[in-house]
Amino acid sequence: MTRLPIRLTVNGEPAEVLAEPRTHLADLLRGELLLTGTHIGCEHGVCGACTVELDGAPARSCITHAGACDGATIRTIEGFGEDAVMAALREAFSAEHALQCGYCTPGMLVAARDIVLRLPGADEARVREELSGNLCRCTGYRGIVRAVMRVLEERRGR
Amino acid sequence: MSPEAIGEGVGASLRRKEDARFLLGRGRYVGDIRAAGMLEVAFLRSPVAHARLLGVQKAEGAESRVFTAADLAGVGTIRAPSALPGFRVSEQPVLATGKLRHVGEPIAACLAPSRAAAEDLAAACILDYEALPVVADMLTARAPGAPLVHEHWPDNAFLETFRDEDLSELDSIAAAKVTRRLRTARQCMVPMEGRGVLAEWDPRLEQLIVTTSTQQPHVIRTGLSEVLGLDEGQIRVVAPDVGGGFGYKGILSPEEVVCCHLAMRLGRPVRWIEDRLEHLSANANCREHHYTVTAWADAGGRLLGVDVDATVDSGAYSLYPFSACLESAQVGSIFPGPYTLPRFRCRTVSACTNKPPILPYRGVARTGVCYALETTLDALARQLGITPAAIRLANLVPPEAMPYRNLVGKVFDSGDYPQALRRALAAIDHDRIAARRAAGECIGFGLAVFCEQGAHGTSVYHGWGIPFVPGYEQATARFTPDGVLEIRTGLQSHGQGMETTFAQVAHEVLGLPTARVRVVHGDTALTPYSTGTWGSRAAVMGGGAVAEACRLLGERALAIGASLLQAEPGAVELSGGAVRRRDGGAAVTLEEIARTWYRRPQNLPRGVDTGGLEVTGGYRPDPDTGTHSYACHAVTLRIDTETGEVVLEDYLIVEDGGVLLNPMIVDGQVLGGLAQGIGTALYEEMPFDEAGQPLAGTLADYLIPGTAELPEVRIDHMETPSPWTRFGQKGLGESGAIGPPAAIVNAINDALAPFGAEVLDLPASPARVLAALEAARAR
Repeated sequence: MTRLPIRLTVNGEPAEVLAEPRTHLADLLRGELLLTGTHIGCEHGVCGACTVELDGAPARSCITHAGACDGATIRTIEGFGEDAVMAALREAFSAEHALQCGYCTPGMLVAARDIVLRLPGADEARVREELSGNLCRCTGYRGIVRAVMRVLEERRGR
Repeated sequence: MSPEAIGEGVGASLRRKEDARFLLGRGRYVGDIRAAGMLEVAFLRSPVAHARLLGVQKAEGAESRVFTAADLAGVGTIRAPSALPGFRVSEQPVLATGKLRHVGEPIAACLAPSRAAAEDLAAACILDYEALPVVADMLTARAPGAPLVHEHWPDNAFLETFRDEDLSELDSIAAAKVTRRLRTARQCMVPMEGRGVLAEWDPRLEQLIVTTSTQQPHVIRTGLSEVLGLDEGQIRVVAPDVGGGFGYKGILSPEEVVCCHLAMRLGRPVRWIEDRLEHLSANANCREHHYTVTAWADAGGRLLGVDVDATVDSGAYSLYPFSACLESAQVGSIFPGPYTLPRFRCRTVSACTNKPPILPYRGVARTGVCYALETTLDALARQLGITPAAIRLANLVPPEAMPYRNLVGKVFDSGDYPQALRRALAAIDHDRIAARRAAGECIGFGLAVFCEQGAHGTSVYHGWGIPFVPGYEQATARFTPDGVLEIRTGLQSHGQGMETTFAQVAHEVLGLPTARVRVVHGDTALTPYSTGTWGSRAAVMGGGAVAEACRLLGERALAIGASLLQAEPGAVELSGGAVRRRDGGAAVTLEEIARTWYRRPQNLPRGVDTGGLEVTGGYRPDPDTGTHSYACHAVTLRIDTETGEVVLEDYLIVEDGGVLLNPMIVDGQVLGGLAQGIGTALYEEMPFDEAGQPLAGTLADYLIPGTAELPEVRIDHMETPSPWTRFGQKGLGESGAIGPPAAIVNAINDALAPFGAEVLDLPASPARVLAALEAARAR
């Protein structure tokens, strides 16, 4: 099958890969680039496990065509090492027991970071609504919602 | 105790050691692991529920990469028998032979360097089959003339059980009698990671290395050895990080067997990763019960007797290792619930149908039983004109009767069941509910009380006669030369936080900081045998085994420490991670003891215990009939009578799990179970049409609860120690998923009572709520 060249910036590094036109971004990240922190849960854009940052906004990598990402800038869970908001979220997720098996966690963190930055005044109801596109089967969500609220409140208190 | 006094030991809400890797995206699940030369598998699966398989035309030009049953010489069928009288065992082929018995049954394995290319191969194969009439419904499965799923069977049933008792006089003496026909939906477990397996043959070790997403590595090894005809020593099963299980990963799957066979045959690593369509349509089926329940009570609400006729849709095959009767056979033993039921008659059937086999799911049988019993109790209370609380208080096992043996022989270890209910009632604002109702809102309040048997062992399982019986749970404790403590357990942690809780247990016994304890699990090559993680057993069995191994290791360390301190063994003690002279003199740390044993043995006299600093300990509670945690769930909800939407407003759980090893993790288990139970109550349903076709193929069709569906939840812990376990802990991993359908539907029916409407079937979707209202209007 035809393989097309795709040029991307992933976690700050340039990457050029060849991919079949049918390849989705999650498979490309996991398969070609070995960035396995991005998880695949449904391949229909429902569960949110595959959420990455695409040109600065969260995106479902399982329903994003890799070929459509030529020239794009992508950040995966492996690419937030220097990010203060992500560091605060990681701390809060652990403190609030917001993860069990860990499978939904990377997508949940990327979505949570977007909420914290985009909606600094969000209340719990809004956080629940915003997180409704990320499914978790282990925690019952209380820890996740509390962790996001904790980071929002810390930032509001500054 | 204050947090300081608890420190890191039993009872501390210690943050989880395993969090760090998951938060960084560095968990390692089977789908993240690649091997050089690896081939990916896509399965060609049955498109129909029942058919005679006439042939498979392999993808043209790629015949050597497509494997059907005819290519699998020497591979056996999966057989999961039970010793219960009359049980019929199915022969489950790992690739279909002769007949297709459910949609999604694997027919051929197609191999290619990528999954996409393997799917292309599967799509290029041509199936030849002759459709047969379908057994799609459990209630008509045994009707005369019904087609047979297994043609040599006399009818479509794996097992029928019957407990008789004469209830004929109850009609004449009872003040109230109700009969209810209730149905629970077929569900899918939906861990966020599906199943997956990577099989490799290591020619140096002559060993099959099976990395698989499982809760039970040792049991899977036994199953693989039986089906593949290998010695168990020729198989190593490794569970890497596992993205949720909930029972679904407590089975041997045909896909695992096929991948193992092909890896050996081809000499190349072979991997299959389940996608969500396979998960929903072919594999992850569970629950689906039908009940006809009749109950009699006296004027005070005292139960006089219960008559149950239960049918479970077991699907086409008996799953390994738990068998096709895992749900139905338990119905008879758990139906009396937490009550002092005097008379009980129960008939159960495990019906065989053209659906995927039902597999374990958190709560196994209890969720359906609790739903049937608790909704029937509320119907009785309505007829008697007493409150749901009153009828329960009239029947709950009283604390002074503990330990209590009920009429079917279940033994409840400890607790105060009525107190759990009273605490729940006291925490509810009943006046506010009444006021809102008076103002015209459709508000309901519902209760469920239940207990959960967990960690039941040999004495319970040997009579069941399934492929394994849990015995002594074992754990290994050993010091590495640098004094780090390694705990090795054959259990598998896939979200339960055992890497943390077992370190806490080790700290409790040996006093080492948890940071210096490393828990190894889920690998048959590295851990002692265990039946694995299921049945809410890890905290009790694993906790007990780790404590015992650490105690034995401590004795070894004491002997070495005494020698180093030049003291008599009786003159020293182990505390705070060191061996100390009892007179308050010198001490030597466990680290120093380890260093001496391994690296400076010249400092030890001859005659020190030659066993060294590695020891395996075993544990089994006495009696081993299991702990019974219990809970009262109390829910307040409102219903939009125009749309049928149910909105949960307040959810309270009073729970008694005995001594909590890590309260934070226990709450996580309860809350996670609750979300699943809410799914069972309101959203989750895998419908099948009359042709046996599953109708929900994506997570947009099969709805699991999200953040917006979860109400505010209050948890109130009672902590009555179990008298039978090492720390007084009780198993409660499934509890959260048991009570919600009963409590929620009781609240719905409370809200609908003024309309004369009642919901009977799960899930209580808007359509069912509206149908109940419509039916009441039509009466």
